[in-house]
This record gives sequence, structure tokens and C-alpha cells, in this order.
Amino acid sequence: MSDSRTSFLKSEDWWAVILGTLLFLLSMGAFMGYDLLGWVASPKMWGTLSGAVAPVAAGLAGKVSGATALVLTYVLILGVTSIGAWTMGARMGRYAAGFTVIFFLTYLCLILGHQGNVAANKPADIEKYGGWSLRLTGEAGFILSLALGLIIGNFLPRLARALGEATKPEWFIKTAIVLMGADIGVKAAAQQELAAAIMFRGFCAIVEAYLIYWALVYFIARRYFGFSREWAAPLASGISICGVSAAIATGGAIRARPIVPVMVSSLVVIFAVIELVILPFVAQAFLYKEPMVAAAWMGLAVKTDGGAIASGAITDSLIRAQAQLSQGVEYKEGFMLMTTTTVKIFIDIFIGVWAFILAVIWCGFIDRKPGERVRAVEIWHRFPKFVLGYAALFVVFLFICLMNRDLIGRAQSVTAETNAFRTLFFALTFFSIGLVSDFKRLWQEGIGRLAAVYVICLFGFIIWIGLAVSWLFFHGVKPPVVS
Amino acid sequence: METTPRISDELKKMEREEILPVEKKLVVWSLVLGIGLLGLLVWLSQTFFDVQ
Repeated sequence: MSDSRTSFLKSEDWWAVILGTLLFLLSMGAFMGYDLLGWVASPKMWGTLSGAVAPVAAGLAGKVSGATALVLTYVLILGVTSIGAWTMGARMGRYAAGFTVIFFLTYLCLILGHQGNVAANKPADIEKYGGWSLRLTGEAGFILSLALGLIIGNFLPRLARALGEATKPEWFIKTAIVLMGADIGVKAAAQQELAAAIMFRGFCAIVEAYLIYWALVYFIARRYFGFSREWAAPLASGISICGVSAAIATGGAIRARPIVPVMVSSLVVIFAVIELVILPFVAQAFLYKEPMVAAAWMGLAVKTDGGAIASGAITDSLIRAQAQLSQGVEYKEGFMLMTTTTVKIFIDIFIGVWAFILAVIWCGFIDRKPGERVRAVEIWHRFPKFVLGYAALFVVFLFICLMNRDLIGRAQSVTAETNAFRTLFFALTFFSIGLVSDFKRLWQEGIGRLAAVYVICLFGFIIWIGLAVSWLFFHGVKPPVVS
Repeated sequence: METTPRISDELKKMEREEILPVEKKLVVWSLVLGIGLLGLLVWLSQTFFDVQ
């Protein structure tokens, strides 16, 4: 088998595209009038456990029990992810066992997060559950997934290792992002002007991450912490751009030893978890009157795709709950998440170009070696391929809905199903991020100096510049209101 | 058996390197370009994509 074909089949990015597209195509049955996946499990707000899970198609409620829907969903997702995991070289017995545990523990968290007294945020719903609620919305399940993952990752290391073969947060979130393309396409068709404005404002993220954050972090790491170029460049990319993939791309571009971006990446993941736990709640408290500023802020400040999109999802639900409570305004779901995703994806797509620029500078001016040239094809090699899946699904549904606006309703029945999968992959991401975030090991490794740069840059200016730029571009932009 | 290197050991091994003029240029030009482009994008977004 050729190298390019082997790397294609071993790539999490391509498997996210394949998996997302496959689930989307199966969901398209609903568009044609043949609902193939109406039985997929969807968590519901509940007072008694029997109502905690139901098929996503309302017409199947009562015909397919929640437990049956859950088991069928597990079998489907295990089946399709197993093909990808096998092709990527996973040991299948361990993968299947690990995935089974991760799936059911994650779903348990989703169910607990949807309990009425935890999730209800509309007055009528709160009344149904005894008159009180934490008002966290169903996304509380994500926070519980993360918490349970962190507990296992840090206090039950043997169990975490046993689940390791199926712990794939990057794959899960990239699949969720591909699936999100369809939903955002429909939303963009329904709100063209707003969607165009959000897309255009996404460019600010590229400028900020690559030209401002990167330059500042690199200079601080070199000038004040005495880091070598080999460490400072991947560290700057990890902190400024997109965590793991940026650190690895930069490490490759400047010919750093492989160990350097790996170590930087482990730090990035830990800090993304800290941001994920703190920033959405800060946004809820101070930015509920400026929802899109909060959403863009998550995309600009939280590193790693998983951490950023997860923060966007929590921010979306927390701010909608707060706006309803404080202002009596009910924003439509998903537009804040759309903003976070757009910002993050705009940052992601430039990684290849940035790695190419760094490679040219290092090759031509810093580590000059006779006869060495940088090839433009490197841009493609570094390009995050899952973005292609996201863009394809986005364009397909945008095109369909713009051609015939009467089809928006049918398209929404498709995205109801893709959203059920997306929620599941989000939750799996949260749980997996927790599992891989081993605070104790990193502390024992002696991360002090590396972490010091990270803390100073992150809390010293990344968060604040991110907030200022988000404000500059998104203040006054509001999600549509439920009529 | 080969052991995985520890971050602290790797950081101790790191030698201090002078900042080269090309690095300073990279930082300065990135910031100048970044601030300029942000200004341009703010103007463009408020002029052509204003949804307030």
C-alpha cells in the first residue's frame, strides 16, 4: 500500500470525515422520507428515570423504549468507530472493552445532567420539578462527564490505562465538528445575514492567534524565560493557536525533536481543562448581555479543539439560561456554539500555512542547511482534514436550503438526528479529555518553568486580548430570539 | 530499557541562545501586521457586515 494511502487510513482527521459523513448520510433518510435513524437515543429532561432517554424521532416514543434506543445507539457507534479504530491500528479487544465502559459511563453522566432539578431553566419546567433547579440545562451532563473522566484519570490510573485504547478526545471532537457542519448550514440558511457576519468576523481570529498571540508568547518565552528556539516555537504555537496539532506542526516545521511538542501538548491539554471549567461560568456571570462576545472569547482563549468547542457548548447553554432568567430573553440554541466553532475553525485552517512560513524562516535564516528546501505541499500535509468534512456538510445543506427554503423543515429533521450524535460525541470528548488529563503525572515531571510561561501568557494577556478582540468584533451582535 | 525523558530533565539540558535579528523581525513584523489587519477587519466588518 502506498504511503499516502496508509497515512490516509491511519489519520484521525480523515476518519472523523468518514464517520461524520456516514452518520450524516444515514440521517439523510429523514430528508427523503425514510427515517433510518429515528431510533437513535437522545437524553431528555426527566423526573423519573423511565423518561431519561427516548428515541430522537418523536413518532417513535412509546414504540421504542429508551433502553432499547440506547443499546442500539451503542451498537451502531461501537460498530462504526471500530472500523476506524481497527484501521488506525487499535487493538480491537481493548478498544471494544474500553469504548463500552466509556460510552455507558458517559451516557450515565448525560442522563444525570438532564435530571429536572439540575437542568430545568424555564419557569414552566422548574415548576414541574418541585419549584427549584440549578438551571444548568442538559449540558450539565458534559460537566459531569469531564468530572468523572478527571476522577478516573487522576485517582484510578489503572482503569484510565485500561480505557486508553478507546480514549480518543481529538477524534471524537473532530467527528462532532464534521456533524456540526450540517446543522450550521441549516442555521446559516435561516439567518443568512447573521451567518455571513459571523463568518467574516472569523478572520479576526486568524490575525489574533498567529500574528499577535504567537509573537508575544514566543518573545516572552525567549527573552524572559530563556527558552531555546526549539522549545519556544512549539510552546508559542501550543499556547496561541490550537494546542496539540499546532505544537506538533510547528515542531515538525522547525525540526524540533519529537519529544518537545509532545511535552508541550500535554501541558496544553491540562490548561484547556482548567479554562473549560472556569471560563464558561465567568462568561455567564459577566457576558450574558453580549452572548456572541462570550462565544467568540471561548474560541480565542481556550486551546485545543475539544476544549474550545466544549466551552462554546457550555457557554451557549449557560448564557441562554442566564439571559432568560435576567432579561426574559430566550435565544435560539446553537448560535453561540456556531460562533465558537467558526472562530476555532478559522484558526485551525491556517496551521499549515503558518507551519510553512516558520519552516521557510528556520530553513532560510536560522538553521540553514545546504540544499534544504521547503515544499509548498507541506501546507496540505499540515492542513486539518476534518475541516473539509465540516465544510462539505455545511455547503450541502446551505445550498439545499437556499435553493428551496421550504426544505428547511426537512433539513432540520435531519440535523435533529445528527445533533443527537453530535451531543454524544461531545460528551465522549469531555469524558476522554478528563481521562487524559493526568495532573499528578505532569506535576511529578517537573513542569514548573513550562507552566510558568503558560500561566503568565494565558492569564496575563491571551484571555484579555481575546476578550478585547471578541468585544471589538462581536459586541452588539445577538443570536436570534425564539419567537 | 529505554526510559521516557522527564520534562524537568529536558528543560535543564536546554542551553540559552541569543535572540537573532531575524527572530526580532519576525516578532515585530507579526505585531505590526496583526494590529494593522485587525484595524482593517474592524472597519470592513462594521462597514459591510454590520448586524447590530
